[in-house]
Amino acid sequence: MTYKPQYYPGNTSVAKNRRKHMSDDVEKLRDISDEDLTAILGHRAPGSDYPSTHPPLAEMGEPACSVREVVTPTPGAAAGDRIRYAQFADSMYNAPATPYWRSYHAAINFRGVDPGTLSGRQVNEMRERDLEEYTKRQAETEITDWGLSGLRGCTVHGHSLRLEENGTMFDMLDRRRLEGSSIIMDKDQVGVPIDRKVNLGKPMSEAEAAKRTTFYRIDNVAFRSDKEVIEHVQTVWERRTRYGFKPESGR
Amino acid sequence: MVNTVSVTDKTIQVKVFPARLLQPETAEKLLNEIDKVKGVLRMLIGGKNLPRKVTCGPGTGTDVNHPDKRVIQVGDQAFELHVMVGHVIVEVEDESVLEPLKQSCERGLPFAFEFKRGFFIKKKATLTDYGKYGFRSKTDERINLDDERMLGMIDPHAKAEGRFCIIGVDNAA
Repeated sequence: MTYKPQYYPGNTSVAKNRRKHMSDDVEKLRDISDEDLTAILGHRAPGSDYPSTHPPLAEMGEPACSVREVVTPTPGAAAGDRIRYAQFADSMYNAPATPYWRSYHAAINFRGVDPGTLSGRQVNEMRERDLEEYTKRQAETEITDWGLSGLRGCTVHGHSLRLEENGTMFDMLDRRRLEGSSIIMDKDQVGVPIDRKVNLGKPMSEAEAAKRTTFYRIDNVAFRSDKEVIEHVQTVWERRTRYGFKPESGR
Repeated sequence: MVNTVSVTDKTIQVKVFPARLLQPETAEKLLNEIDKVKGVLRMLIGGKNLPRKVTCGPGTGTDVNHPDKRVIQVGDQAFELHVMVGHVIVEVEDESVLEPLKQSCERGLPFAFEFKRGFFIKKKATLTDYGKYGFRSKTDERINLDDERMLGMIDPHAKAEGRFCIIGVDNAA
């Protein structure tokens, strides 16, 4: 019998969505071209070469090391790419991803990841071409609803705010906005205008967002409505507390 | 006797807190509806800042040009919104104004809102206000302001231009 990872307990829609995000079993909802993605990330001009921080590993003559022999470098590391970042903010009004689940998705399914998880945003540092692959995956799939989420390198304010009248999350720098029925982004993630209008697709309806969210909310799926999750969380907290206090009792 | 109390009227303050952040058109409509209610003394708009330029990160100094940073007309005054309106604090003369005020909010807002009574704008001058405006004279220790309703409307350290306006001066005269 092959091993099947058990990512997260629970039977509610939120628990199921959390398992989907962690296992990368997510639905692709939109197409964003590589050039558009590069433009909104803002780290290099679309179509230009990847700047490097060191020569390709194959040319460097690495020292004999058993770990290096076992671990295949990621394409970005092999090419000597710079470390770059992408940061997402997600509204607590039923955005599909929570910061923790973006980190889980990145750390479980991609290599060479340095995720930073904060209360209302999630930043990920990787080699540049690896970062683009990871960001494309999150940007094109149900992990991101561009009405309730945003790619924000700075000035991320919006996660805990009321939504705007049109149902989108507040963006102080107006990087992306609802135009007609689609979300359009004409600035990069730090608010510098870009030479194109990137179409990020239609935002989810309220009902759709409530169905796909990984947020527990009292007005949607309450955290305490899932007994298995409560039991799991309490077990984890009890064991880590007991172990911290008296390691031999925490097994 | 030396008078140190700035405002002695027993006014009532209410915070109107909509379920959504308001677009400029809705904010304009709401403020005009509130302005039409007789007995409204002061209104204070609060919300999320709309900066003119990017203030941090690699894009610092870049123009934002937020489409919601617009000039709106309330009564006989036009002014630029510096925020995406999130709440409006209204001070009224007495209890009888509360019901008409609530009805005006229902007309102005297309969605639900909270209507909370409380104490939101200060009525007495604080040390900082005295530091900014000073006393009227050596014998009169009231604050040196022509209209004491200005108190609490803006940060004592901020300039009034662009942040404060008086509506309906001609009608009142």
